[in-house]
Amino acid sequence: MPDQTIRVQYYALLREQAGRSDETLTTSARDARELYAELSQRYPFSLPVDMLRVAINAEFGDWSQPLKAGDAVVFIPPVAGG
Amino acid sequence: MNAFRFSTEPLDTAALQREMRDVTCGGFAAFEGWVRNHNEGMAVTRLEYEAFVDLAEKEGARIVHEAIERYGVTRAACVHRVGSLALTDVAVWVGVSAAHRDEAFRACRYIIDEVKHRVPIWKKEHYENGDSGWVNCERCAAPAAHRREYADPYAHEGDHHLHNYLHDEHPHDGAHHHDHPPVLTPDYSRQIALKEVGIPGQARLLAASVLVIGAGGLGVPVLQYLAGAGVGRIGIIDADRLEPSNLHRQTWYALADCGREKATLAAERINALNPEVHVQAHSLRLDAGNADRLADGYDLILDCSDNFTTKFLLNDLALRTRKPVLFASVYQYEGQLQLVRGDDDTACLRCVWPEATRDGIVGNCAEAGVLGPVPGVFGSLQALEAIKLLLGMPGLEAGDMLLFDLLSLNTQRLRAKRAPDCDAHRRAGMALPAPLPVELEVQFDSLADAQSAGFLFVDVRDARERADDPLSAPALNLPMSKLLTDAAMLDSGGRYLLICATGKRSAAAADLLRSQGFNDCRSLRGGLKGLKASA
Repeated sequence: MPDQTIRVQYYALLREQAGRSDETLTTSARDARELYAELSQRYPFSLPVDMLRVAINAEFGDWSQPLKAGDAVVFIPPVAGG
Repeated sequence: MNAFRFSTEPLDTAALQREMRDVTCGGFAAFEGWVRNHNEGMAVTRLEYEAFVDLAEKEGARIVHEAIERYGVTRAACVHRVGSLALTDVAVWVGVSAAHRDEAFRACRYIIDEVKHRVPIWKKEHYENGDSGWVNCERCAAPAAHRREYADPYAHEGDHHLHNYLHDEHPHDGAHHHDHPPVLTPDYSRQIALKEVGIPGQARLLAASVLVIGAGGLGVPVLQYLAGAGVGRIGIIDADRLEPSNLHRQTWYALADCGREKATLAAERINALNPEVHVQAHSLRLDAGNADRLADGYDLILDCSDNFTTKFLLNDLALRTRKPVLFASVYQYEGQLQLVRGDDDTACLRCVWPEATRDGIVGNCAEAGVLGPVPGVFGSLQALEAIKLLLGMPGLEAGDMLLFDLLSLNTQRLRAKRAPDCDAHRRAGMALPAPLPVELEVQFDSLADAQSAGFLFVDVRDARERADDPLSAPALNLPMSKLLTDAAMLDSGGRYLLICATGKRSAAAADLLRSQGFNDCRSLRGGLKGLKASA
């Protein structure tokens, strides 16, 4: 699998743990699940995949949906503050 | 029947009520003002009413038409007596019929209050001691206020003045501090000026009812703007008492209010802001046992709560009662907004979060911290979306989630689809019909074509075959021997194309997976050989 460039955005707890709101990175991850696993090596993410949702190109997607170059991936944790 | 008229004869209220009947109306409200036996310590024996009839009829009719327009009621009328009246006689009658009771009550109240204030009617009181005196209407009395104590021309009637006297148009000089200032009524002209609102839009807002769960960081701006906009009925549910740590983001309240129930405080603030709004405050926690009862009769629910338990409860209520709920949540510098329509096939909270999220896993405002304006922004957005929704204006689409990071100022509008296996939809009797049976086998000229058709590939060949003839596209490797044990790595709703060398094993595998609930999986007809033959 060749490396591809993907834009990632983090929200809420993930933003805090990644220490950034967004980044563009090159990855060999085939799908969002692999991408999250890869990023979990780099950042101290505490939430498991099944507690998050992922959106790919502005649409809530599946963790196993294949990624392609140029995709915009957003990881969203649930938020309840009011 | 004229909208407003005078009668020299005793009023036949039963006949008047019959004139209000209408097949489109489910509610009728009436007010009767009666002659009472005392006023300001004086025993009253009888009354005489006189009116400047031409002027009074015009002004009275204007008031009734204003009420019809404002509250969208079907019929309304007011009849006022003139002449000599005895104790207990009906002096004035107001009747309103409407589709629903709420607007009928409100229009009725509006008419009697305005008639008392604006219509030129004089009343001569006859006292037990043989004296008598003339009393005129509030507006007529106002300029003459320095001459005598304010006199309420209807003080003999057993109802109460609940007007909110906000300030006096006439400067106080201390000498007549007993003067009642003129009644101020809310003025929505600045929003009525918008062509999307107008008079009909304002009437819709006044006839609308919104239940707000939470009177905290989100709830404060929500309640302020809904009350300001003149939403006719607002319900507030909040079990908490105000704490000093709330005030940096809940700036409607005062330090001195700490320890008081927020629901009560918010209701008081709304009364001060817009006495026309009918407020119901509940100092309690929403739970499964009281949710349906509390939400009954409201058009729209706004979730301004700070916990997942309440949010999921409201989501399920939305679907069960087919009522829209607009959700907002904040975290530190950002937040989310989502609309669940409840009555259609758009995504709900559980479609997005099928694993019910438990409280305590991600921080709330107390644990994670929050900047005051952040809930302010999201509460304002929520109020804006609510008003637009009530007016039928464009806005956040049902199911969509608006993410707004106020630190980076990034916004995202994410589309969410109704999950076919959503539990909340199923429980609410909105399970999707079983999908139409799809062909087990499908033919493609190339794997690229299959990819464009949205298929994810599952290669069911064994490792040796894969090494000899690798696929030219990414695929999950799931040899037949491991198909059932490893099927868990597949998504049951996924659109899979099973591939083998000739199409035989993949057809058997697809058949097997279909029986396990993988309804959208198919087999590549003819397998890889078929592809090559046609290529």
